[in-house]
Amino acid sequence: MIRKTIKIVNKLGMHARPATMIVKAATKYRSEFKIVKSDMEINGKSIMGVMTLAAEFGSELELVADGVDEEFLIKEIAEMFASKFGEE
Amino acid sequence: MKKIKGNSVSSGVAIGKAKIIKKHELYIERKKILKREVKLELSRFKEDVEFVVNELDKLIQDFTYSQENRDILESHKMILKDPHFNSRITELISKELHSLEHAISTYFTEAVDIFSNMNNSYLSHRVNDFEDIAYRLLSHIMDERKDILVGVDENSILLMENISPSFVTKVFDKNIQGLCTERGSRNSHSSIIARSMNLPMLVNTLGLLGNIKDGEDLIIDGNDGYVIISPTKKVLEKYQAIYKEEQNVQKELLKLIDVESITKDGKEIKLMSNIEIPQEIDQVIKYNSAGIGLFRTEFLFMDREDLPTEEEQYKIYKNIAEQCKPNSVIIRTIDVGGDKLSNILNITHEENPNLGYRGIRISLQNVPIFKQQIKAILRANIHGNIKIMFPMISGVDELLKVKEIIEICSKELINTGIAFNANMELGAMIEIPSAVITSDSIAEECDFLSIGTNDLIQYTLAVDRDNQSISEYYKPLHPAVIRSLKMTIDNAHKMGKKVAVCGEMASEKKYVKLLLALGVDELSVSPGRLLIIKKEIIDCDITEMKSKLDRILACKTSKEIDKLL
Repeated sequence: MIRKTIKIVNKLGMHARPATMIVKAATKYRSEFKIVKSDMEINGKSIMGVMTLAAEFGSELELVADGVDEEFLIKEIAEMFASKFGEE
Repeated sequence: MKKIKGNSVSSGVAIGKAKIIKKHELYIERKKILKREVKLELSRFKEDVEFVVNELDKLIQDFTYSQENRDILESHKMILKDPHFNSRITELISKELHSLEHAISTYFTEAVDIFSNMNNSYLSHRVNDFEDIAYRLLSHIMDERKDILVGVDENSILLMENISPSFVTKVFDKNIQGLCTERGSRNSHSSIIARSMNLPMLVNTLGLLGNIKDGEDLIIDGNDGYVIISPTKKVLEKYQAIYKEEQNVQKELLKLIDVESITKDGKEIKLMSNIEIPQEIDQVIKYNSAGIGLFRTEFLFMDREDLPTEEEQYKIYKNIAEQCKPNSVIIRTIDVGGDKLSNILNITHEENPNLGYRGIRISLQNVPIFKQQIKAILRANIHGNIKIMFPMISGVDELLKVKEIIEICSKELINTGIAFNANMELGAMIEIPSAVITSDSIAEECDFLSIGTNDLIQYTLAVDRDNQSISEYYKPLHPAVIRSLKMTIDNAHKMGKKVAVCGEMASEKKYVKLLLALGVDELSVSPGRLLIIKKEIIDCDITEMKSKLDRILACKTSKEIDKLL
């Protein structure tokens, strides 16, 4: 299992489009994927889950992946956050 | 009796009873089901989700949407496939015995609540996104069950605020008399489709919905652009006579679908269609048109913030080419005034846009964009018989430049190993007087000419065709126009090339025989005009008409020419 803490750096926060991008990317992998925000843990392969996270600009999230391709999953998702989902 | 002015989308009269279609309102019955119904409800859930996913897939494939809109649709699709969504709905149905609609509405109410209660104002604002998704999803599912046209009488005229293109098709399929919308424009996709189906329709009928009740007698006068509410007996009788006559004419015309487009004296005239959007292809096929003589590609570039990619264009061209096979499709490269593209290209205001940055001039100054279009066309040509045509050619110079760019595109495609077919006829639009005068040289440099009469008249006579105060000067039969047509056709024939007319003159009954006498080989008209023009062709004796030609060409005024027709 890998855990990685990331910060939301895109201004608009976790709205529908980035949520779609994350789920689309995550479902390509076999590993389980969860996102944790303070006391809340959601399935990172569920768009409803990711959207109800309601993560805003500046908030911190923990990405948790568990499975054969966990490394690659975390790498791709973390890069998406860092690149602000192509916004701006 | 009340009369309300509107903009006519297609000509023709419709008579019927008013039927107001309200903006789709979601009314969800919070219904419980019986235990034995659970299985059925769950299977309906599965089927409905599948149906909506397919619908969304189709919309996502529709490249007239911007990338942003497609992203939104993509997220809607993802919600339908969401594991959390699926397990919660299943739970609501099987444990709480909710009906499907009830379960879905409960689910989204819960989700929206979570968002609304967030203390961050920006994120609670996102709730709008969410409600929008819920609304779409539910209306999709409910639409599928209760078609809002069920029970609507054929003898109705539908009144609504606005209409979507797919709804126009439904209205047509149900044989409903006609349509009026309070908003909308003549050039919307819905209007284009109604026009190609000859479905009587008016748009922009301001104040209509407030002035009418369901079941009132109604007349659409698409010829003059009026809706008449509760007509007097006299007015009704007048329109009934017009309607009857139009129906008879239409019935006779429909018999011509399979009749060949050959004149009385045996000359075959290729009769093709002008289309603005891909959806019109259904009418092209229905009316048995000999292919597409003008496929305008402007729709690809309008109403969006980004440029269509080569791939998007390729798919659209390929699709049209395949559907038209073995007939040909003439694709015209982008032909808009710069002002309409200002959101994509950096364009500043022009003093004189008609004489400015438009047509091929935009393409030649934005070569990367032009190359994408040409490559897409070259690639699509594998799948059918495509010809390419260029607008606003003023002389051979532009044509030589264009040919060079096509050459470069072919080389680049070879280098990247992408399949294409460069065996493609090239044509020039003749719509500028300098192109008429040098039409011999232009014909030598390409494979066919196509005359755009609207612009040719405008430029030859120096008349802005949208300027009402000088409309009396816009004369299709002006001797200068007729001589220009003759000169172009003769020059092309000398070079062994064919000439088509794709402007409005080809769609007007009155001019068809004259055009044929002048030697035009092909006509291209909007799908809704195909049969009317075919009738003119069949009735035409070119030899006889030609005997009048010398006299027509000797006329000094348009009035004299008009008399001889």
